[in-house]
Amino acid sequence: MTAVDVYLQQAINGVSLGAMYALLALGFTLVYGILELINFAHFNVFMVGSFVGLGMLELLGVMPNDPALTGLTLVGVLLLTFAVTMVFSGALGVLIERVALRPLRNIRGPASMITTIGVSYVLFNIVLLGFGADAKNFPSPLPQVQFAIGGAVLRLREILIWVISIGLMGGLTYFVQFTKMGKAMRATAQDPDAARMMGVEVDRVIITAFFLGSALAGAGGLMFGLYYNITSYVIGFQAGLRAFTAAVLGGIGNVPGAMLGGIIIGLVEAFGSYWISAAWADVIIFSILVLVLVFKPAGLLGRIAPNKS
Amino acid sequence: MLSRRTNLLAASAFVAAAMFSLPPVAHAADTLVKIGIDASLTGGDANEAELVKNGVLMAIEEANAAKTVKGVKFEGYVLDDGTATAGQYDPAQAAINMRKFVADKAVLGEVGPQMSGAAKAMIPIASWANLAMITESATNPAMTDPQNAAQYRPNGKPVFFRTVATDAFQGPYMANYFADVLKVKTLYVLDDTGAYGEGIADSVQAQAAKKGIKILGRDKLDPKAADYSAVFTKIKELNPDAIYFGGVLQAGVKVVKQAYDILPHTVIKGAGDGLFGAELFTGAGYPAAEGWYATQAGPHVSEDKSTEQFVAKYKAKFNKAPDDYTITAYDGALVIINAVKTVHESGKPLTREAVRDAVASSKLKTLQGEVAFDENGDIQDKVISVFQAHENKAAPIDDVVSQFKYIGVAPQS
Repeated sequence: MTAVDVYLQQAINGVSLGAMYALLALGFTLVYGILELINFAHFNVFMVGSFVGLGMLELLGVMPNDPALTGLTLVGVLLLTFAVTMVFSGALGVLIERVALRPLRNIRGPASMITTIGVSYVLFNIVLLGFGADAKNFPSPLPQVQFAIGGAVLRLREILIWVISIGLMGGLTYFVQFTKMGKAMRATAQDPDAARMMGVEVDRVIITAFFLGSALAGAGGLMFGLYYNITSYVIGFQAGLRAFTAAVLGGIGNVPGAMLGGIIIGLVEAFGSYWISAAWADVIIFSILVLVLVFKPAGLLGRIAPNKS
Repeated sequence: MLSRRTNLLAASAFVAAAMFSLPPVAHAADTLVKIGIDASLTGGDANEAELVKNGVLMAIEEANAAKTVKGVKFEGYVLDDGTATAGQYDPAQAAINMRKFVADKAVLGEVGPQMSGAAKAMIPIASWANLAMITESATNPAMTDPQNAAQYRPNGKPVFFRTVATDAFQGPYMANYFADVLKVKTLYVLDDTGAYGEGIADSVQAQAAKKGIKILGRDKLDPKAADYSAVFTKIKELNPDAIYFGGVLQAGVKVVKQAYDILPHTVIKGAGDGLFGAELFTGAGYPAAEGWYATQAGPHVSEDKSTEQFVAKYKAKFNKAPDDYTITAYDGALVIINAVKTVHESGKPLTREAVRDAVASSKLKTLQGEVAFDENGDIQDKVISVFQAHENKAAPIDDVVSQFKYIGVAPQS
């Protein structure tokens, strides 16, 4: 491998990782934009998503170490698995909002945020007790197709991650910018009271935000499984923390910012591990976060919002 | 005031009378002796933990059934040093467990822990209580190194014994195997930042360099991270003949998967006993696991004629085949039971100190052969066995003993 090949390969690694972080970051940003609430339960909705995807694939008869699927079967299996995983995770997000967060909505202070940490641990322990602590081998229905670009290798699974992430993020941007519900979301984010007076059903907006954010996290979890061929009950924390960092880096509450932040974090992780050492990846990522926040406290694409209270 | 004092006096007189009129204890029930068992029952090493825990419980049960020590009834006291948040062993939890063992007066010996990182937290506490610990698989050399006496023997005598060899042998012998048998010229070394992983990776690196193998690099992997592709891309660029991974399965499973995905399949891949577990096959699976070398810091006896009976009995009881560390754990329990027997039969009172002394001087025929310890608590016979993962479709995927093919004993120099 020449140096150029290595850089290209690390860029491919970083962007794939970043696409996953970006999907997860969108959920933080959507909920924060509307409720100013950091939803830590999101970490483990992602983890649950990967287990739902695993269960769905096995239900469809796709087992670990089975030969890869091809053609329409592959497309069908993937579509169905993504649909089920996203609906399940979205519903889980709505359930969390309805049961654990809505009763606390009008209480000032950090009560809601602490509650989301609690919910996160509940999900974590349910999966731990239900499925055991060992890492699970994840089915890999994707054919081992790969393209050589010089000495670098681009695999089908990377292309899939990019296509799905871009598709989902594009869909979300369209939804937020051009649909009536999206308009209502933006209005609620700006001023919930004024939005309510204008006839926006704020409860529905909040539920939609939780559903969409959690569905994207579920899709992220499933992609994690397909990409690494592995899942375990611990995957939520590290990925969640990086994604949260991405959301803050890009400007929390800002949808394009979350995507940009995700890609940056992914690239920093890949190149930091390459140039310095994998052991320093976290140090590098969080140092960059601190630097950005010192000079641009609202994040790269964020604006300082007027204080709502 | 007066009446209260009188009552108190009367009460204490009554208690004193009751104490002296009690029948002698010899006619009472058997003395209860507990053997502590610490294993990482939660997290990435849970499968192996279950195996060794059952091995110790089986030894205890057999001793009770055969009345090995007359007048003594043994009981296992199992504690888990794995936590959900760590996803593997947690040194803080291990320290809490040791405090629980020490607090229970009936605990006279302890088998475990599996992991060196846990052992490092437990030994100083055990030392103050003179409680003998025998590990079946914690192989980091630091704990028995006399240079570290201040840390691990604050109370004077060693309390930590092993029925396995250490990484001071496991790592270097594997490096010898790389150099002499596999003819490796260039090597890249990885570890998982744990006490065991770092230690064994250091020792492999040092011996490999001594043997003339060129070390192309060294990296540390966060066991909780999911993505090591950047590191493996770097390794691919350097193109070594072999890689060595020092660490346990939490990182190991991902290392195996991603090494298979990214590195050319001709690269020789080796690891220590940390990779020797069912999760390698259930979590990473074939084809990724195929061809990985792993070592065990003891003789390979679980498929030997001498242990046939034990293996059959264990399988019938727990429905799973024991591995070599199940046998070293079982042996550890035998050593403690025998030490209790020695003390008890000599007529001395059963104290932790007496049991520790008896363990230190024991010379006992066990499943793996004769177990005796040197003055630091290390086993005297040091054998490192080399295995290679090779798909065995006839056996269940989590049957470690069948999925790992025994290759032989690693060269000593």
